Amino acid sequence: MSGLLTPVEDALAGLGDLARAVAGRDRVRLAVTGLSRAGKTVFLTSLVANLLAAGQGARTLPALEAAAGGRLKSARIVPAGIQATPRFDAAGHLAALAADPPHWPERTDDLSTLEIVLEVDPAGILGQARSLFTGPRQVTLELLDYPGEWLLDLPMLSQGYAAWSRETLARLRQGRRAAAAAAFLAFVDALPPGAPAEDGLVRRGFDLYRDALLACRDRLGFRFLQPGRALNPGPRGEAPILWFFPLPHAGGGGLAALLAERHAAYLADQRAAFFDPFFRRFHRQAVLVDALGALHAGEEAFDDTAAALSAVAGSLRGGLGLFDLLTGQGVRRVGFAATKADHVPGRSREALVGLLGDLVGRDPAGPLDAATSVHTVASIRCTEDDVAVLDGRPVAAVRGVLLDGGRSAKVYPGEVPLRRPDDAFWEHAFFEMPVFRPPRLPADGRSGIPHLGLDALLAALIGDLL
Amino acid sequence: MSDAQPPRPPPRGPRVIAEDADAPPAPRLDFGWEHAVAPVAPPRVERRWSALSLAAAGVGVLVVGLSALDAANFVADQFERAAWLGWVTLAVVLGGYGLLAWAVLRELRGLWGLRHVDRARAAFARGDYVTAREEALDWAARVPAAAGIAPTLRGANDLDQMAALLEAGPLAELDRQAAAAGRAAAIQAFAATALVPSPALDAVFFGWRGVRLVREVAVIHGLRPGLSGTIALLRRCVFEAGAVGAANVAIDTATRAVISSPLVQHLAGETGSGAVAARRMIMLSRAAARACRILPPRP
Repeated sequence: MSGLLTPVEDALAGLGDLARAVAGRDRVRLAVTGLSRAGKTVFLTSLVANLLAAGQGARTLPALEAAAGGRLKSARIVPAGIQATPRFDAAGHLAALAADPPHWPERTDDLSTLEIVLEVDPAGILGQARSLFTGPRQVTLELLDYPGEWLLDLPMLSQGYAAWSRETLARLRQGRRAAAAAAFLAFVDALPPGAPAEDGLVRRGFDLYRDALLACRDRLGFRFLQPGRALNPGPRGEAPILWFFPLPHAGGGGLAALLAERHAAYLADQRAAFFDPFFRRFHRQAVLVDALGALHAGEEAFDDTAAALSAVAGSLRGGLGLFDLLTGQGVRRVGFAATKADHVPGRSREALVGLLGDLVGRDPAGPLDAATSVHTVASIRCTEDDVAVLDGRPVAAVRGVLLDGGRSAKVYPGEVPLRRPDDAFWEHAFFEMPVFRPPRLPADGRSGIPHLGLDALLAALIGDLL
Repeated sequence: MSDAQPPRPPPRGPRVIAEDADAPPAPRLDFGWEHAVAPVAPPRVERRWSALSLAAAGVGVLVVGLSALDAANFVADQFERAAWLGWVTLAVVLGGYGLLAWAVLRELRGLWGLRHVDRARAAFARGDYVTAREEALDWAARVPAAAGIAPTLRGANDLDQMAALLEAGPLAELDRQAAAAGRAAAIQAFAATALVPSPALDAVFFGWRGVRLVREVAVIHGLRPGLSGTIALLRRCVFEAGAVGAANVAIDTATRAVISSPLVQHLAGETGSGAVAARRMIMLSRAAARACRILPPRP
């Protein structure tokens, strides 16, 4: 992506940011990135509800409040303007979670945005003098929700069709993925190098490829699956631009040429519609990872998640170069968060932090690197700590109310290792965590949402701005 | 030989341990969140009467109490002289005290109106829909400019809708009326500067006109401030004037720069001072309007 950013545009954006900061009207784009099912939508819903409640004086985000020095005066959603992008329906998601019976948000299938204005009392004498003319300082937080599958298109942007085909097929031939993609692999391996660009052939290949991707995602818990819109085509539905798949002989004419053309067109479309407008420039980044889900899905899924995160992180512009420092652009702070932290008892959350650090391969922050931090977060806390007796001995567990049937259940989530576990650990993998009911949300969530660690993550990400 | 058993390894596989399958569905977990996050009220400052207040209250009790006792004694004396004289005296005393009580009642009503404004503003600021709606409907019943919007207000089902309706409808109209009152006062202030012969009388005139303007704006916003209500309003205007004044500093500075020019002073005589006085009246009307608004003032 960094190749796309022209120095002039960066400099102009930097000037704009500077002018807004001088006028006490900062704008901060917070990119909430995460693979599919990492919990982005629920995270944003909880963030909005708790920020709005904090703006009315409720102590929903104590760590952020402390970081802001108690200067947060109010928070409100910016009224809709003339945006063409759908609006993130925080109120709708909140109502669904508070309803009886409650509903978790469906899989996100389109982009949506929302802006929140935080009104903050000025900190210094200069700020107080400025507020005489411009009123209280306002920090506008831009939020974006999107299908997590699309994030994996980012690494594709720097690859040609031939290289992408080679890497994708190599991944598909590994371990359990090979069984799930057996029909597709048999199909493409049987294709001759000069196969014709025949429509039926293309549709057959794409259908098999998409089925393989869906099986890998839904049955095996894999995340490094490309292209994203094959899994989640979005509101526009499936279009011919999506009908491509990797080929073993990707350099020839006929079918290979057609697929390469569609591959290039797909990337251009994703770049124009998604990455350039929304991912091109942001200031803070929250990376949500379902580390526990990856752990329970088995060794291959765990390594696949690590590879996917590494590929995405490599594609996003991270760290601050000298030019970024001069223009004020670039990601200043990155917060990695292991979501669904309420699925493990309190004593295991420290281990979850260690595991996430190992999973994302966090490098120590250098002098010019973005400040990074690692957290555990439960956007909505659905369980409480409990003790279960297994094999005659007490173990720390969590207790919640199951979404299906509404019965109370204890869950022993197993050991949470501090880093990538050894081979013996994976004997107990392939566990699917049950879905819990959200807790009672007082006043339909207008008092905020019970959470774990959301305030610490926000304090690390935007605390310095308030 | 030791009997100690080697520690057993912990059970490693994650698992779900369902509780009693025949039990009825469990209620959703309740973390008592609303109590845990409820805003902490600032420590209540114990209000003590100052010596001056105690003295003033003592004087008040003595004046009112003794005068009442004195009046009662006087009425009784008059009854002893002649019945008809007693009745007439009683009527005079009751009439006098009645008028005083009426004045006090009006003062209290004026202050009560200001408290309603405070309650409404606080409810809008903290997002308390129920109280804000109740206060807004009560206010709409008292203010003629807002009478037409009451049914729409009743149908507004969130605070933002209600605020938008009030801002766009009655409050915009009331702001226009307050601005018109400010302009009228400004013209009078401008003319008075030329007509009033001494600066001391100027100050008296502006003081009187300023108080009248604040009361006019209060009446426009549905308030009927008495003496204490007016004093409370004037005190608020001082605070609100800070916000209004900040926005007008540049304009005021420019006006002063122009009128302090010797050439302009020579040409315009006292007109420059009149312009500053007129400008202040307009600012005062804005400050008063901000102080009387049912919605929190816009930044």
